[in-house]
Amino acid sequence: MTQTVLEIRGLKKWFPITGGVLGRVRGYVRAVDGVDLEIKEGETFGLVGESGSGKTTVGRCILRLIEPTAGEIIYRGQEVTRLKGEAFRRLRRRFGIVFQDPYASLDPRQTIRGALTEPMKYHKIVESDDEALEKAKELIKRVGLNEDHLYRFPHEFSGGQRQRIAVARALTTDPDFIILDEPTSFLDVSVQAQILNLLSDLQKEFNLTYLFISHNLSVIEHMSNRVGVMYLGAMMEAAEKEIIYRRPEHPYTHALISALPIPNPALTRERVVLAGDIPSPVNIPSGCRFRTRCPYATDYCKEKEPSLLARQPGHLVSCHYELKLSAPIPIAEISRKA
Amino acid sequence: MTESAPDKSEALLQLSNVRLNFHTYAGEVKALDGVSFMVTKGEALGLVGESGCGKSVTALTIVGLLPENASVTEGKIILAGKNLLEISSEEMRKIRANNIAMVFQDPTTFLNPVLTLGEQLEEVFLLNPDELARIAAERKMEDTLVEARSDKGTQPKENAEGAPSTARLSKSAQKKLARILSIEVLKQVQLPDPERILKEYPHELSGGMRQRCMIAMALARNPDLFIADEITTALDVTIQAQILELLRQLKKELTGSTLLITHDLGVVAELCDRVAVMYAGNIVELADVKELFANPLHPYTQGLMRAIPMIDRPLERLETIPGSVPDLIYPPSGCRFHPRCPFAFEKCKLEKPELIHGGKAHTVACHLYGEGKA
Repeated sequence: MTQTVLEIRGLKKWFPITGGVLGRVRGYVRAVDGVDLEIKEGETFGLVGESGSGKTTVGRCILRLIEPTAGEIIYRGQEVTRLKGEAFRRLRRRFGIVFQDPYASLDPRQTIRGALTEPMKYHKIVESDDEALEKAKELIKRVGLNEDHLYRFPHEFSGGQRQRIAVARALTTDPDFIILDEPTSFLDVSVQAQILNLLSDLQKEFNLTYLFISHNLSVIEHMSNRVGVMYLGAMMEAAEKEIIYRRPEHPYTHALISALPIPNPALTRERVVLAGDIPSPVNIPSGCRFRTRCPYATDYCKEKEPSLLARQPGHLVSCHYELKLSAPIPIAEISRKA
Repeated sequence: MTESAPDKSEALLQLSNVRLNFHTYAGEVKALDGVSFMVTKGEALGLVGESGCGKSVTALTIVGLLPENASVTEGKIILAGKNLLEISSEEMRKIRANNIAMVFQDPTTFLNPVLTLGEQLEEVFLLNPDELARIAAERKMEDTLVEARSDKGTQPKENAEGAPSTARLSKSAQKKLARILSIEVLKQVQLPDPERILKEYPHELSGGMRQRCMIAMALARNPDLFIADEITTALDVTIQAQILELLRQLKKELTGSTLLITHDLGVVAELCDRVAVMYAGNIVELADVKELFANPLHPYTQGLMRAIPMIDRPLERLETIPGSVPDLIYPPSGCRFHPRCPFAFEKCKLEKPELIHGGKAHTVACHLYGEGKA
């Protein structure tokens, strides 16, 4: 039985909206509104959702880059949200993060050497500058760049190279859990493939556990073992990726997968097009938050919010009804040309 | 270097050997390196490639909206018998008003934030009063507009029948008609409650609604050529699906041609009849959409297709194209793809490949298929 690395229970992050002269709180943006998830040792958990679904906020709460409003985050049996000072720092080095925008996530005035050695020194992983440099050299080579690159500045690199540097930096503190927050959405497809392959290789080599956050359903499918689908701050469905992509049981997952344009003109399929826009996270609909766009919604959905329940072991669905949904993508018989 | 499908279909737009440079402090960026293709009447042509390959620049060259530092050094762009590169800016403006419409990736930048959507959309119609008069006559709408007209005192009612009216409508009648037409076109792009939307400002709408408004504005004059530059890129998956569905329906309803620019092969597969693949300022392959996906010939197209994760055909590992897109100030000699190409040989470094026939309705610019090898 594989061990649970990270468990989240009832995570909430409400951002207050203040207004007026007195700065009174007038309402809340309920970015994350009760999320549960569990990530097992060595797996990649894909977190997918549209913009504003709260997936990035979940990632940041885990690292406590923003403090969660409520809920528990348990890393290997330890409650992360209650740790303070040195205890938190010791734990924090077990986590790594790669951000979406490689142009914003590296300090333009710091050489790559600085970017890689600073976290090692801060977390006291190395004893001397020389040791830090040695380790930085090793890492930079591991991500496919060379030693000379350590003495350059971020602006001298392309987007793909910068993302490689960001990956190297995430590895500096010998973490075992890495949050990948849209790591390839700024990159072109040919470069994206290079980074995705690099991440897969590193995962095997260092036995890493990934939380892969993305809005790109194809990338999530390629990278993940299990997938969680978020909508308006809550988890709609979570399961093995084969279930999510082939036999989803939540109408939102179904619509999302069937909406994805597939690069295969020979494929014919029924598309579910959801009407309307995503509601604002300030005014989340009553009852089931998806009901305003759900083709199967009833009056009952208006009254009661469904909870995320296991239908089979490992397949969690947040819907009142057990709907019979068609396969969102037909599996192509044609295999790719060599 | 001609088109792949010399069948009965008539050319609407023909680009031949268009070369374009950008002047920058670092040097001349050779952004387009002899681009030739044709858009036939009624078809949807996809232009795909990675960022910096010149697909958007191609579109901007067609509509004549290039930045100051760009200059076209060679080539022709023929639309309706005119070379768009030679006509005056006044003529070009008329073409943009009547023949070509373009929608961009980010609707917020192209909508005026201080005008309501009604003001912006009605302007499209008000710019051409003769057309408005013709529409009024054609639809026999004189009666509906009459109260607005009567204060002028002129009543050329006989014009309503027979030949198109040359008499202009009064300003207020024009406004009234423009509003009616605006509502119609918003309905065509399936926006709910168009009367309300006309009174709103761009910031009051969601991204998907703004993009629908842009499409409405572009289609208002029923253009011969509709250029869509990455119009679904900034949108969420479910909203993108709505826009794609809309475009698919509009394709059935409208007679004009579409030039769809995107980096997303999925969008191309869903909407286009033919596809042109661009790399570093060149068209490297052009084929019917099914043919291209079933049988990609150019090593770059092949690489691109194996580099994207496809959810209908899961792969253990993605194949990558080594290296990255070249610096177009100093583009590689010969074939611009040769430094990254797994099949490159001597000739590729020396000679630029021309687009040649690589099969039925399929052209490719690659030396692998030269000398009757195809």
